[in-house]
Order: sequence, then C-alpha cells, then structure tokens
Amino acid sequence: MYLRNVDVLMGYFTRRCREPQTVADLTSETFVRAVEGFATFDPRRGSERAWLFGIAVHVFARHCEQSAGGRDAVARLSGHRPLDDDEIEELAGRIDAERAGAALMRRYARLPPVERAAIELVDLEEFTPKEAAHALGVSRVAFRQRLSRARSRLRKEHQDND
Amino acid sequence: MTKFTDRLWSELEHEHGPMLAQASRPGRSRVRRPRIIAGGTLAVAGAGVALALGLTATSSTPAFAVTRSASGSVLVSINLDSNLPQANAKLTAMGIDEQVIIYMASGPATTSGPVTCTPAKGVSGPPVQVLVGTNGTEVIAPGATVGNTGEGTWHLNSCTAVATGSGNSGNTGSGNTGSGS
Repeated sequence: MYLRNVDVLMGYFTRRCREPQTVADLTSETFVRAVEGFATFDPRRGSERAWLFGIAVHVFARHCEQSAGGRDAVARLSGHRPLDDDEIEELAGRIDAERAGAALMRRYARLPPVERAAIELVDLEEFTPKEAAHALGVSRVAFRQRLSRARSRLRKEHQDND
Repeated sequence: MTKFTDRLWSELEHEHGPMLAQASRPGRSRVRRPRIIAGGTLAVAGAGVALALGLTATSSTPAFAVTRSASGSVLVSINLDSNLPQANAKLTAMGIDEQVIIYMASGPATTSGPVTCTPAKGVSGPPVQVLVGTNGTEVIAPGATVGNTGEGTWHLNSCTAVATGSGNSGNTGSGNTGSGS
C-alpha cells in the first residue's frame, strides 16, 4: 500500500507546498495516521488510494489551520527528523516537476476548497467520482454536484477572460 | 523509490513495526469466507509439520500458504502482497507469535525463492521466510486494482518479522503529534 501510494500523495502535497521539509512532514504524517488508523479502512467502502487521500486532505487542512494561526505547523504536526541534502534536492526537484499542477491549483484558488479538491482528484489524479467522493467523505450525489459546480465556475471564468 | 520514500518507510517500520503488523491483520468485516475448501479439510503433511492453505473467493488458486518445516522454521507463501493479512492471521491461528511486514520493490525478482525475514527486537519465535507470487515475482495486471494502482511487476525487497502483541513505544512523531503549545 505504501509503495503504491506514496508517490501520488507526495504529488498532492508538492502542488500545495514549496518547502521540501513541509512536503516531507505532511507525507510522513499522513502515513503515520494511516498506520494508526488502519483498522478503520474497509476496502468494500472504497479504494486504499481514496482512503489515504481522505487522510491527506485532513492533514493538509490542519496544517493550513495552524499556519493561519501563526504557529509552526510543521513542528507541531509531527516533529519528524530534518531532511538531509540529498532528500531536500530530491523533493525540491519533485516540487519543481509539479509546477504545472501547482499553477493549476493557483488558478483554481478562487474556487471553494471542496470544489477545488473535487476537480483536482478527478482531473489531475484521475480518481473515479466514486473514489473521490470517498476520499472527501461526501456522498456520490453531493460530489457530482460539487464537481459540476466547479466545472461551471471554471467555464464561466474562462469565458469572462476571453 | 527515492531516498526520501525509502527512509520514510524505514522510519515507519522502525517506529511503528508492531502497529504495521496489527494493520496487516484483517478486520472481521474484511475477512472473505472462502467458497472452496481444499478437500473439505486441511491437509496435515506429516508429523511436526502444519500446513495451512487459503483460497481466493473466486478460484481454487491458493491465495496464501503457511507451512512449518520439521526444523521449526516457517514459510509464508502469498500470491499477492494483498494476501499478507490473511497469512498473518494464519500465523496467529497456528500459535506463532510473529507477524510479517513485507517491503515490495518494482521489477522482477533477481533471485527466485523466498526471502528470510529480519527478526525485529523482541522476536523469539522461529525463523520466517516469505515467498511472493511466482518464484518471488508478483505481476499486477492492468485493471486488477481500482485506479490501476500498483500495476506492474514487483518483487519482495525485504521483510521483517515482529512479535505479536508487542506494544508501540508511544513516541509517535517524536511525541509532538497533536500536542498543544
């Protein structure tokens, strides 16, 4: 499960964070929580990828709340070890490689967070709507409404720009 | 694998080994009842040797097998890495106080045959070997998993045997997780 998903989860964080250490800590925190909460994972309810993304979404939301509070979110979240130079370079390369995705996320910044996440999971991560709904903890009907609203807003924005 | 992901896994294994083993155990709700039982009974292959076979819900291909040799060592054979929880449950059922954590890497196995697990601190049980897939190589075909996650060829890079029921150190995340300040 770790190998199958670590890359895609890092992609989620590298599109949102510019600091390698933050990406490392948020990825670590997601997997620590996954290990601690594995008993709650039921494959009949959704894929492991959707379940892990659900955790990642919460980890990032908490990170944002604490950052907004002016506190050192990274230190409070996990306190994981500092990266060595090779790892910083590796993660910086990964952040660089996700520039297009990060730019897309900035473009979507005006969307409400739930709609932005809906677009990201389906269009960037290629989740099925069912998987994405599970990851975000909403019903499939609610998810489709959010996705539809997000796409309508983007279309309108695009037309207005033209 | 990158250096970061490699080290992250090592840390998870080091700090949360027992919990990873617990995580490998299927919850009651996730256990699938096999539709086919080999010959209706389990085979016992001679004195001092226990044999346990698990069958997939849809075919007669054994999903996993746990065998104990006359010397006491244990061989865990699993068709897919996802069969590990059942195999770990079987270890417990057989009275073996060890759980196996496996670490897969991409590509086919360079040497065929089982991999010997490194015993974690506190393990006093028999040596455990693990064999994944056919001669150590597991192939996940396109469409075999949701979202095609894990599609490709994999081999068992290493495995660790941890003691059943050993507690976690409680130092998750260096003890700062969720602390208020």
